[in-house]
Amino acid sequence: MSTRFTRLAALVAALSLAIAACGGSQASNPPGGSAPASGVASQPPGEKVTFRMTTWAGEGEAKELQELVLDKINAAQSEYEIVHEAAPADYYTKIQTALAGGTGADFLWLSQEYVAGYASRGALLDLTEVLKTVDAPTAKVEGYFPKVMNTAVYQDKVYGLPWISQPVVLYYNPALFDAAGIAYPDDTWDWAKFAETAKALTKDDQYGFSANGWPPLHMFIWQAGGEVISEDLASSPIDSPEAIAGAEFYKSLIFNGDCCPTEDVLLEQGFSEMFKAGKVAMFMGGASDTFESADGVALDIRAAVPPKGPKSRTTFAWTGSTVVNAKVANPDLAAKALVALTDGIHRWKIVSPLTELANAEVITASFPEKWRAQKGQQVDAIIAATQDMRSFNVIPRQQEWDDLFWREFQDKLYHDQGTAADLAKAARPKLEELLP
Amino acid sequence: MPVFGWYAETLVRYVIVAVAIVVVMLLTYRGLRAAGVRREAATGFALIIPWFLGFLIWNLFPVVASLYLSLTDYNILQAPNIVGLANYQQLAEDAQFWASLRLTMAYSAITVPLGLILSLFAATLLNQGVRGVGLWRTLYYLPAILPAFVTALLWRLMLLPTRTGLVNSATEPVWSLFGDTPPRWFLDPGTVLWGFVIMSFWGVFGANTVIMLAGLKNIPKDLYEAADVDGAGLRAKFRHITVPQLTPTLFYLLVMGIIAGIQVFDQGLFVRVPRENFLNVYLYQQGFTFFHMGYASAIAWVMLVIILVLTLAVFRSSSAWVYYEGEVKR
Amino acid sequence: MSAPSITVEAGRRGLKSSPGPLRRLVAKAPVYLFLTFGAVFALVPFIWMVSTALKTPGQLFRFPPEWIPNPVAWSNFGEAWNALPFGAMVLNSVFVTTLAMIGELASAAVVAYGFARFHFRFRNVFFLLMLSSMMLPWVVTLIPGFLIWKQFGLINTFDPLTVGALFAWGPFYVFLLRQFFLGVSKDIEEAAVVDGANAMQVLWFVMLPLVRPVLLAVAVLSFQGNWNNFKGALIYLQEPLTRFTLPLGLQFFQASISNEAPRWHLMMAMSLLMVIPVVILFFLAQRQFIEGIQLGGVKG
Repeated sequence: MSTRFTRLAALVAALSLAIAACGGSQASNPPGGSAPASGVASQPPGEKVTFRMTTWAGEGEAKELQELVLDKINAAQSEYEIVHEAAPADYYTKIQTALAGGTGADFLWLSQEYVAGYASRGALLDLTEVLKTVDAPTAKVEGYFPKVMNTAVYQDKVYGLPWISQPVVLYYNPALFDAAGIAYPDDTWDWAKFAETAKALTKDDQYGFSANGWPPLHMFIWQAGGEVISEDLASSPIDSPEAIAGAEFYKSLIFNGDCCPTEDVLLEQGFSEMFKAGKVAMFMGGASDTFESADGVALDIRAAVPPKGPKSRTTFAWTGSTVVNAKVANPDLAAKALVALTDGIHRWKIVSPLTELANAEVITASFPEKWRAQKGQQVDAIIAATQDMRSFNVIPRQQEWDDLFWREFQDKLYHDQGTAADLAKAARPKLEELLP
Repeated sequence: MPVFGWYAETLVRYVIVAVAIVVVMLLTYRGLRAAGVRREAATGFALIIPWFLGFLIWNLFPVVASLYLSLTDYNILQAPNIVGLANYQQLAEDAQFWASLRLTMAYSAITVPLGLILSLFAATLLNQGVRGVGLWRTLYYLPAILPAFVTALLWRLMLLPTRTGLVNSATEPVWSLFGDTPPRWFLDPGTVLWGFVIMSFWGVFGANTVIMLAGLKNIPKDLYEAADVDGAGLRAKFRHITVPQLTPTLFYLLVMGIIAGIQVFDQGLFVRVPRENFLNVYLYQQGFTFFHMGYASAIAWVMLVIILVLTLAVFRSSSAWVYYEGEVKR
Repeated sequence: MSAPSITVEAGRRGLKSSPGPLRRLVAKAPVYLFLTFGAVFALVPFIWMVSTALKTPGQLFRFPPEWIPNPVAWSNFGEAWNALPFGAMVLNSVFVTTLAMIGELASAAVVAYGFARFHFRFRNVFFLLMLSSMMLPWVVTLIPGFLIWKQFGLINTFDPLTVGALFAWGPFYVFLLRQFFLGVSKDIEEAAVVDGANAMQVLWFVMLPLVRPVLLAVAVLSFQGNWNNFKGALIYLQEPLTRFTLPLGLQFFQASISNEAPRWHLMMAMSLLMVIPVVILFFLAQRQFIEGIQLGGVKG
């Protein structure tokens, strides 16, 4: 009995030691390049530094990122290696958990609404000074479209490098225009002409235009000369006459059966699917959207600049930036790697936010062979759209602001629960509470 | 190919932990007996050691941490600062919180009992000696193993606000009595709840029915045979044999239903449109989207208290209606 | 209530005439009706899944929805399989599910037995404590849980998905088994103890066989839960791709935040492949549900 007991006790002691050993060591991490649990890439000098990069890229995008960008960078130099960790689902939950646990990657993709939030909460590295040490066009903040670069700047400090800015263009189906004998959209179009044409093209189960909250209302407010969040982030003038004008124009289109599908029809048939199926004549989409038929053939879809509003032809450009973890071990090398990475992505994604790369050859060449013809027809409009593209003015509490803006203003407006003027007046104070 | 070293590492630790647990169980038994505890109690406690260890390691810290965090302004990215009961005060005045709470409680109050009845019905059907019952059972279980996004699309088709939606077209004779427009389900605040209730019917195809079926199968046949001898009809057999024998299972499903119902989450993500959503979804939004993890923790604790109170009530009532064969006093 | 002996029963039954096959069918007609109604409901998403798995990208969102694609794209399965290292992911899923299942079942059975059959101080407190661990929403326990595994240095390993199972991390299984253990009559158990069996032997040789239906149910549910465990894989597995499990791999086909379109057809094809083992397991397990428990004259 007692021998058994002693043996057991010895076993327990041995096991506890073993568990403690296992827990303490890094043996559980695979060899060859995975950073230690603290997320810091610390390697003995003279060896390649490994940078981990988390993105939301799904299967196709991840493969392209690896082959077109990362492999080339890693092969071209021997100071560092960038390893990609894909998180295609629940992206922000995953990176926040990792950051909270200290296992956050060195580089992260953030869409425009998030940079200010992460920067203001101390998660990101201030790149302003360290970028100046890198000698490359991509490192020069001035080389970017200013209103796009803004989304990666917080309190005058640079926290990331934008890798894409996709301007919204007006796609249209030439066949439907031909059938109705109406001239294609061009750069003389304004709001009135646009609305009129949309109505003219709506008959039977065909519609002139389609909206469901996309394109963003902000675009129309900007075109009317208004702002939803002022540039100095101090006010939300959504009840100014200009903003109201933009909101009312959008309201006259969305779900209005005379020119656009109603909400019910959109739910039934799918928003972008209707355009691809030839049921909608005009569609506002991002510059890199592609359209194919049921048999996988590229459709004949052309593009024009969006119609101009009362004050400008501003278009919305969806922007994503790569940011750097505040806890990164070698900021200088990280900056270098970031610049190389961003440069690679600029040549892959459309449209690059660098002014010098926003030209026809680069854009068309960035598309795979299958889409060259379709995009070739659209490239002029895309370039024209980049001339006046911008993204949001972002505050640290942007997600709450967006949620409130939708619930208290847009949702109610589109569902006839008040006039634009009344709803804006009521919502403005609540929105301004969230400003910094 | 995966590196088999990964498997080996985990396997080694797995075995070590398993053995360690057994060792601790034995030591606990010995220790308790040596301390004069009687056999039954010592054995019982030793048997629950795996859970107890797990509780100490994996549950205690998160529970205490979340309670602590509910008293802070934790935003995930920075160290938390204590703010006392501010989160709870904010809760009390948060209209969205109350709206979510109402929706969630209404949802649970309707779907939990309804789910029990439907599962019992389905399990009884699947317990009949019909031909190919194995096939039927598998068919009925199929929906439970389909990934969420598949059923999400199904519900999109089912609950479209137009007359082409599957539910609307099937129930046309009913709603056409009240007018020309079919129910708009998630687009209409008045029918949002009922849309979710219909979605909950889906739960019939899954774990609850399987468990209910196991419960039915556990009823000894000779009870029914004896009843046949006494000339009992179907309804009497159901009332006096099936239901009492099933009460342990029903108790389980009721408690689990409450716990799961109040924490309903996935359904809320399926639908793109509702203006108000479930508590757990609101919680997620506050915690992970708005960086208000401290506030989310406060909401979580309110939810825990609600669930605990309801569960305790059910437990208290159980002595009145749950019949355990093995606990019959001689 | 005392049960008459089985032999007397059989004898009495034999005296009545049993209904003919047609009459039995008619009597069962409402059963068939209801079964069919429910089954149609159950089949719709599955059929839609198969149909989508066989479509080309352009056919995906035609309206009205097409149930039978033309042409049928069998190549989707091959394409989906090759898009990612799914061979590795299958092996990972099998590994994780097997270890987790064994851990869950074994620990749940042991702990449930302790709660069901033994009286000790604070038993009810512990039981409620165990249940209450299910009452705190996952959103607020996700990060603390992650921190614990981080302390052990086991992020990016399979341990968080498997080793935890040994600690009865599924209170629902413990609770369920406890309910059924409580329903087992004490006589058999006492007989075994008198014969000198210790607790584990009683559990293995007496209790578990007596609750076989629910044990099978738990096995099926445990398999399914671990096979489809997405959240755990998402949070704890970082890289490389060959370390991921199937549910995580599947997410690569969905729409990207960069507005890249979802590859529904590949996602469905892969989902179908993922679903098949669970279906087979269920079909095999439920066959055991055909014969219930026969306890002869012991009960009552």
